Formats: sequence, C-alpha cells, structure tokens
Amino acid sequence: MADELYLENIDEFVTDQNRVVTYKWLSYTLGVHVNQAKQMLYDYVERKRKENSGAQLHVTYLIAGNLLQNGHMCHKVAVVREDKLEAMKSKLSTTASVHVYSIQQAFLKDSSPLYNTDYDIVKTNLHNCSKFSAIHCDAAVPRMLPDIPRAQTSLQGSSQRENDTDVPSTPAINGHGPLAAKHSLQQHKGIMGMFAAKAASKPQNTNKETKAEAPGVSTASSKPPTKNNIINNFFGKAAMNKLKVNPMVEQPKEEKDVVKPSVAVAEPELNPNPVAEKPGKRTESAGIQQKDRKSQMKHVDRSDNKEERDPENAKRKRKRIKQLQSDSSDEEDVPPSPTLEEEKASSPPPVLALKTELEPASMEVSVGGRKRKRKRVLKSKMFIDEEEGCMGKAG
Amino acid sequence: FSAQAAPTARGLLSPPSGEPPTFPRVPVLGYSDCSAPFQLGERSFARQYAHVYSVRLAAMRPALEQRARRRWGNDVVVRKLSELQEGEKCCVVGTLFKAMQLQPSILQEISEEHNLVPQPPLPKYIQPSDELILEDELQRIKLEGAIDVQKLVTGTILAVYGSEQDDGRFLVEGHCLADLPPPLPWNGPSSDRFVLLASGLGLGSGSGEALLSTQLLVDVVTGQLGAEGEQRCASQISRVILAGNLLSQNTQSRDTINKAKYLTKKTQAASVEAVKMLDEILLQLCTSVPVDVMPGEFDPTNYTLPQQPLHRCMLPLASTYATLRLVTNPYQADLDGVRFLGTSGQNVSDIFKYSSMDDYLEILEWTLLAGHICPTAPDTLGCYPFYKSDPFILTECPHVYFCGNAPRFQSKLLQGAEGQRVLLVTVPDFSATQTACLVNLRDLACQPITFSGFGDEDED
Repeated sequence: MADELYLENIDEFVTDQNRVVTYKWLSYTLGVHVNQAKQMLYDYVERKRKENSGAQLHVTYLIAGNLLQNGHMCHKVAVVREDKLEAMKSKLSTTASVHVYSIQQAFLKDSSPLYNTDYDIVKTNLHNCSKFSAIHCDAAVPRMLPDIPRAQTSLQGSSQRENDTDVPSTPAINGHGPLAAKHSLQQHKGIMGMFAAKAASKPQNTNKETKAEAPGVSTASSKPPTKNNIINNFFGKAAMNKLKVNPMVEQPKEEKDVVKPSVAVAEPELNPNPVAEKPGKRTESAGIQQKDRKSQMKHVDRSDNKEERDPENAKRKRKRIKQLQSDSSDEEDVPPSPTLEEEKASSPPPVLALKTELEPASMEVSVGGRKRKRKRVLKSKMFIDEEEGCMGKAG
Repeated sequence: FSAQAAPTARGLLSPPSGEPPTFPRVPVLGYSDCSAPFQLGERSFARQYAHVYSVRLAAMRPALEQRARRRWGNDVVVRKLSELQEGEKCCVVGTLFKAMQLQPSILQEISEEHNLVPQPPLPKYIQPSDELILEDELQRIKLEGAIDVQKLVTGTILAVYGSEQDDGRFLVEGHCLADLPPPLPWNGPSSDRFVLLASGLGLGSGSGEALLSTQLLVDVVTGQLGAEGEQRCASQISRVILAGNLLSQNTQSRDTINKAKYLTKKTQAASVEAVKMLDEILLQLCTSVPVDVMPGEFDPTNYTLPQQPLHRCMLPLASTYATLRLVTNPYQADLDGVRFLGTSGQNVSDIFKYSSMDDYLEILEWTLLAGHICPTAPDTLGCYPFYKSDPFILTECPHVYFCGNAPRFQSKLLQGAEGQRVLLVTVPDFSATQTACLVNLRDLACQPITFSGFGDEDED
C-alpha cells in the first residue's frame, strides 16, 4: 500500500493548491472510506507539525458529545477550530467522538468555506454519495427504471382515460407511442387514426393535454439515464425548440408536419440508417405536438391543401430532420444531408401544389439548417397573413 | 446515544489503520402507513363546513357521555340543550364556541360601512371579554362559572356539568374533555432503535447559517461524520421524519402576484431553487436511510388540512429511491411496532393564537386530552369540508405524538389511566435552533441533537 502517497497528495492539495481539504472532499478525491480520510488528515497534521517546516496549518475538528443544555442532556455535534477544541471538550460531559474535520492554510473566519467545499464535492458525486460512508443501507436501492416510465405512461394513460369520456382512446394512446418507444407501425396507425378522427375536437384536446404533460414527463424521465430516455429527452428538447422557433406556426405548417410522418414512415427504405428512424419518430411526435397545440384553429379548408402537400412535406420534414441532427453536432449526418437535398430536388413532380413558393425558397438555400428554417417561418407567416387578410377576421 | 460511542471517541485521531468497518443500517422491522384517512381523493368544496361539526359531535358524544358518568356518577342526567330545565343539575355535551372580539373576520374587513383597516396579525387574539358558548345539534347556550374561558378554544367537544339559570345562561360547576383515547398494544423493539425527527429545515431562506448544520445533520445520519462508535450508533437510526417547513417562509413571496407581468416574466419563483436544494439533501439521505417527508405551512402543497404529500415530480433525484416516502400532514404510521402520530405544527400554533396557553408542549398535551388533533379547524385553521367523518378525532392513543416547528425542544412522557404511555415531543424549528430529536423506540426516550459550526463571534 502506498503509505506515503496520500501524504504527498494532501500536501499538494493544502500547500500548492491552497485548498480547504475536508475529510469528505479527501474521501471522494482519493476514493477512500471516510474514516480512512479522517485518519489520513490526522496523520498528515502530526507529521507536518513534527517536521515543523514552517508552513502554517489551520485545522478544524469535529467534536461530538453530551452537553447539559436547558435542562436536557443534549447530544451536541460541533465543528470547532483547533484553538477552541479543548474549551469545547471541557464543556461536554462525555465526548462521543473527535476527529479532524478539515485542514487549510488560511485562517477561517467562519465555517462557510467548509460548507462550500463539501457542497461542491457532493454535488459532483450525487449518485454515489453514500459510497464511502460508514453505513450501508440495503433498502436504499434505486427503483427499477422501467417502473418509472411505466408509472408515467400509466399516469398518462389514466389521465387520458379521465379526459376521454366517450372518445376512443386508441388514437391518444398511440399518439404517445414515441414516448414509450413503441413500434413504428403503431405510430403509423396512430397517425392515420388521428387523421380519421381529425374532425372531432375531443381527441385533439386530449392529445393536447396529454402532450402538454408529455414534455414534462419526458424531461422528468431524462434523469434516469437510459437510451430510451435520452431519445425522449432529445425529442422533448427538439420538439420544444421547434415550438419555440415557430411560435406562430399555423395550420398549414402543422398539417404538413403531421402528414410528413405518415410518408416518412411509409418510406423507411429511403432512410436506411437507424438514426433517421428515431428522428422520424421524434418528428412524428413533434408533428403531433404542434398539431395538437393549434388544434382549435383548424379549419376544414386546410385539409384539402394538406393532402396535396403531403409528399413535399415529407421531403421538407426529412430535410428538417437532417438539419436537426446537424444542429445536434452529429458529424456523420452532415454529409448525407446534401445527398438528401438532391433527392428532394430530383422529385419535383408532386411539388406543383400551392406550396411552390415555399418549396423553391427552401430548395435554393443549401447552407446549414437554421437559415432554411428561418426562411420558411417568415414565408409561411406572410402566407398566412395574406390568407387571413383575404378571409377576413374569423372572430 | 453518546454513551455507547464514548469508548472509541478518539479512535480516528491516529494514522490510517486497516480496513475501516462499514456498519449496515438496521433493517426496517415493520412499517405500515396508517395515514389513509388523511389522504383526499376526489375533492369537492361544494359542501358547507357545518357538517364537520355535526359529524364531530356525533362521533365524540358517546365517549364523552361515558367520561361524564365516570366523573360525576352513574346517575348523572345527560340532557340535550332543548331538554334543559331551569335549576336542574345535569350534564350537557356539545361543541364549544368562543366569541372573540379580536378574531379576524372577513366580513368585518370588507364591510364598507365601517371603513375599517384590516387588522394586522397579532400573536394572540384573546381578550378578557371573550365568551364561551356551548352548541349542540339544535341550540346554543352561554356558559359561565367554573370554566377557564381563556384557555379553551372553538371546536372542542366537551361535557359540562351544571344548571341553567333564569337569565338563560348555564352555570358551570365542572367540565371534562374526552381524555386520552384507548391505548394501543405495545410492540416496540427490544434493542436500541432510533428515529430522527426534524422540522423546519427552511431551505431557500437566503441565509447560509443553517446550511452547514443541515449538512452536519445529513452527515451524522448517513454515517460520514463521527468516530466509529458514533457511526455505529447512527446506523441504528432506522428512519428520519421531516415534519414540515422544508422550505423557508422567504420562498413564499410571489412577485408574480404583486408586480406587473413584464417585470416578472423571466424570474423564477424562489421555491424552485429551494426545492432543488431539498432534492439534493433528500438524495443524500435516501441513499442511506428511509425518509418520510411531511409538508408544512410553507411547502408547495395545498393549504388546508390535511395537507397532501408533495408531488414526486418535484424531487426527481430523490424519488428514484424507494426509501423516500412522501406523506401527508398529519401523519400516522406504525414504525417498528410503535405508533407515531404528528403534524407539522399548524394545529398547535393556531391554538396558541386563540388560547391563553403559551407552552407548545402544554398545547400538544391538551389536544391529546381533548381527543382531537385540531379542534380549531375549520373555524380559524383551514380544513377540507368533511361530511362523512372527521379524520382528526383521536380514536387510538399513539405511542409518540409530535408536532413540528415549535420554538424549542420539549418532551414529556405521559402516563394514562388506562395504561397509555405517550411520548409528547415538540420538534424545534431547525433553521432557528439547529436542533433535531432522536427518539429511542425501545424505551421512548427522547434526546435532542444540536449542530453548530463556528462563526466570527465565539459563543460559549
């Protein structure tokens, strides 16, 4: 065992780095039991004092024991400076424990640096904060991760059931497919099912409500680090970003988004890499989110336009997927994006719909994703404004 | 606690020796949560509060009649107010109402005729001119005589013995409360086991003095602090109960209500940071010991009693551990065979405001003797409009009865006539006193545990 190594380490921490070395900080840094850390500190102090090398060391001790206070025998635990140690010991009727709490070069006016050091080191080690402790609890086991998402989906399920009194809940549950990482087929069905029930406002309302909790749920579930949750988190973040970037996204855009997933799912061969499938799922759900958010503003006319815009929506959707990925610093996805653009450029026939104005705008720009997104937003805003101007105030 | 630790006190003042021991936490022998009556399911506020009182009276009447017979003889006449005859000595059971002039009343505040400025909150609202009125299902009658007007509070069910006078008042010769409820069998552990009671952590207060003490508390319980003996004793702490006010009162101010929207758009409620801090502290505790968290007056949950548990989504880190239990206020549970019952202190502090009793322990004992956790609800203390049954009536005598957020630590072992043995504990406010309580389940002994750092000035 490298006996002297820890002495050198402590020496380095205290004198060279001028740190406040508490027993807890030392225990985490060196990876040793807290009691060993306390003993190491004591050993260091003793040797340094013997050497009398002139370096000033200030030591604080922890003392605990019985103290008669207000008529009760109370157990007192106190952190004291070295000079007050003996005074405190004499006050206590019995001493239960005394050990070194911290070593530092500077004279401490109060105990807040001690607290800050401990706070920082515990914060960085939150998940094994009892690893070096002297007490091990068998009952303290983190709950199995599936329990938590299951609880959440059951929460969603139950809240859906509360909301949908008479509306079939299959679309709603399927709308939550991505969160539970269900099969893409179910999502496909779900999207179709949602189109079928599009006219009814109820499922959309429920979706809106349940989707409103979905981001909350996904962010809550981001803590337990599993792949599913990373995807959900990303999806949640991406969806949130999208919603923020397009605060005024009106129906045509959403409908595009909604239709895109169906096409995207229908043509999985075009995107062989598995990464694209996840974005497919993500964007589907994002589409669902957006659609649900603005569900009240839906007019029947839009539906006709929507069908026509299906294919290009898919393409645009795919473009956006790629942009998103490039945003998230996935290097490998950047090269494929130009190729996708070419693909989209090469299939103009279905493009002839009303959205030609938007299409060329997005096609021409071949730089990074953000510009394209921004352009599209502006254009669509104008488009909608004109339209609404034509249609007059709907009231 | 300390005596066992003494022998190895100086053990850690030595160079590192062999492998330091790790102590296993004492396993939970038995735990059952009995707070089901305090959990509200579907809530409807469409009912009036009068039902609470009628249910309370109906439930406690039999017990009180029994007590009255025991006290004043088996042949004492128990009458309802409508059957009273003038001059006849009898016993009446009813609900008490104290008419207080200083009691804040919303009607007075909004009365435009009076043009009154709302009354500032006072520490006590009692006055010599207060009057006691006894009500039963149909009538009410003013009380006078051998009865302590200042001490009693509205909502208490009691039995008075006396006679009606010709001026319509009831002259009281004696009165009695429901007294201690029937005892529970004792199944306590045979070896030392401790439960740590703490309340009033007061996170988010903006002042860091209590933070080191909170950290020391967590370290002692998780076994990081102290020499080996103390760590072994700490491993016998089988549970930690945090009795309310985890957040400080400072987190309560909501700028969003008072200020204009454009000023408060980007600001975060102070309680958000405080809850994050709470989550980290609870995570450290949960990895080592089962914790029960009760909400308090300043915590983000509903205001009326019974307060529902904090939602687990607020504590994402800590709620992954099964050792964290979020419970209601009031809280009742069987821990290792010992029945605990306690609140976060709102009931006691409310009685304090409307009664001449000054001592929190005295008030706590009085509520136990009155057979009801919070008699002042719903009059001055917010409460859910129950109509089927009043869950705050004490039907069984707990072994440990505590209240949180008291100004100082007090404890008393009460012995009842039917063999009840209750430990009354007033858990002090940790942010002010840096004191928590350790209850030994084997013999119901209670010891306060204080933490301190050092500051600029040295106190002795």
